[in-house]
Amino acid sequence: MNGGRWRRWWPLAASLAPLMLGLLVALLWQSGLFPDPLLTFRLRADVGSLFLLLGALLTLLALPAAAVAVYARHRRARDLEAARAAWADDRQRFLRRLDHELKNPLTALRAGLANLVSLDDGPERDAAQASVETQLMRLNRLVGDLRKLVELEQRPLERAPVDVGALLTEVVELARETPDRQVSLALPQAPWPLPPASGDQDLIFLACYNLVDNACKFTCPGDAIEVRAFEDDRWIVVEVADTGPGIPVEDLSHIFEELYRGDAARAVEGSGLGLALVRAVARHHGGSVTVRSRKGEGTAFTLRLPMA
Amino acid sequence: MQLSGDRNRILLVDDEKAITDNLASLLERAGFAVAVAGDGEEAMERAAAFAPDLIVLDVLMPKLNGREVLRRLRQEGDWTPVILLTQVGESTERAMALEEGADDYLNKPFDPHELIARIRAVLRRRGAAPGQKPLAVASRLRAHDVILDRTARQVERGGRPVELTSRAVALLEYLMLHSQEVLDRERLLDAVWGWDYVVATRAVDARVAELRRALDDDADEPRFIETVVGQGYRFVAPVEATS
Repeated sequence: MNGGRWRRWWPLAASLAPLMLGLLVALLWQSGLFPDPLLTFRLRADVGSLFLLLGALLTLLALPAAAVAVYARHRRARDLEAARAAWADDRQRFLRRLDHELKNPLTALRAGLANLVSLDDGPERDAAQASVETQLMRLNRLVGDLRKLVELEQRPLERAPVDVGALLTEVVELARETPDRQVSLALPQAPWPLPPASGDQDLIFLACYNLVDNACKFTCPGDAIEVRAFEDDRWIVVEVADTGPGIPVEDLSHIFEELYRGDAARAVEGSGLGLALVRAVARHHGGSVTVRSRKGEGTAFTLRLPMA
Repeated sequence: MQLSGDRNRILLVDDEKAITDNLASLLERAGFAVAVAGDGEEAMERAAAFAPDLIVLDVLMPKLNGREVLRRLRQEGDWTPVILLTQVGESTERAMALEEGADDYLNKPFDPHELIARIRAVLRRRGAAPGQKPLAVASRLRAHDVILDRTARQVERGGRPVELTSRAVALLEYLMLHSQEVLDRERLLDAVWGWDYVVATRAVDARVAELRRALDDDADEPRFIETVVGQGYRFVAPVEATS
């Protein structure tokens, strides 16, 4: 924000600088600190030379301005080109991942349908049918989550006070159904209870749920998952930390991307959009989500939401 | 396709043949007489010739889209019940929904049995007052002392404004438009939120609680929203259009 403002105003500042400098020097000399001899110039010129001089002077003034303009345009074009290239890259990556996410359930569906056609009634046919339904639901969830992402960017945000503590209590209760994970919740009581966040309770629930669900999915039996919330300045901060295997450094910068799956995440069931949704919810609220992780030690996600 | 007098006639409109083929056979097995149209213009023709009891209408179609078909039907004074295959999003779309007066909405991809359940529910509801304007086109709805202004998205109780979140207003609207019907949470979620949810109970129950608080409704002796244990919710108060 500040950088942008400076970039917009610096030509004006630069053009005012000589005047300011002149004023400073004039003041210094007038203050009597330095001898102040009276300089006299006499100018004699024919009209032609005068115009030549005037022209040269104007060009001298205009040249830097033109140079600045050309440079600025060049830089804008370069930035735009870079943004376009990044966007094209993103799109390519997204389509590749989408293709990958669709391929597996579709392959399973084709195999399941082939089985359904050739099998007679019986447990095997039932199994094939169940498998077809599972794959359908998987595709259904993928499409549903994609739609949520699109909608999040479009629909206006509902702003009401949201009791994040109550909501986390529910999320943690749900997470405790995952076997062999110790899920704990810490909410502040002193000096005062957690103030409400401002936003859409369904979306905030979704974001918190996805973070905790993610922790359950990517930890091993016996691991601890700590959920805590506190206030920090004007923010309600929700942290979901675990003692799981951690996220490899090379994956860390990508995990909030749509449909990104690190090697460790390939075997884990999900739409591949869970964390992307968390990020979308955080941004939609004007907040943020960040992650820190150490291989072999654990991971902590930090979600910041505006206080009501 | 055989037509018989006592079977309800459904006109199915979608440009995707794979969808109409499968749905038509499913609907016929569910006991309906089905006609199919592949685009909006054909839908207008078939609506006139086939005289359906209900139209299932896709929105995104070539030539004439579903919304336009619905608008034209209504302009001609045709109040045949319509289930629109789309979702109702936020304010602008809601205003449009009010203008076009569809009887229900269903998001693709949907469970075909859900479509059958909704067709039956709409036919039951509209069967009580055939040929008349449905509640769905009323801009203000009243139940007891509660008035919902659908255009302004505001609720009054006893003449005083009630403060509600936008989604609670949308939920109340849907409940009022489907009064006396048992609505399960998944359906409410689909119709009002427009997306599935990790735990449907949570989202819906929280908003129902908000509505009950705002309308001063007692869950044990409900004047407005009744909990149907193991099934969902039912708006029990009689609802009428008001000016």
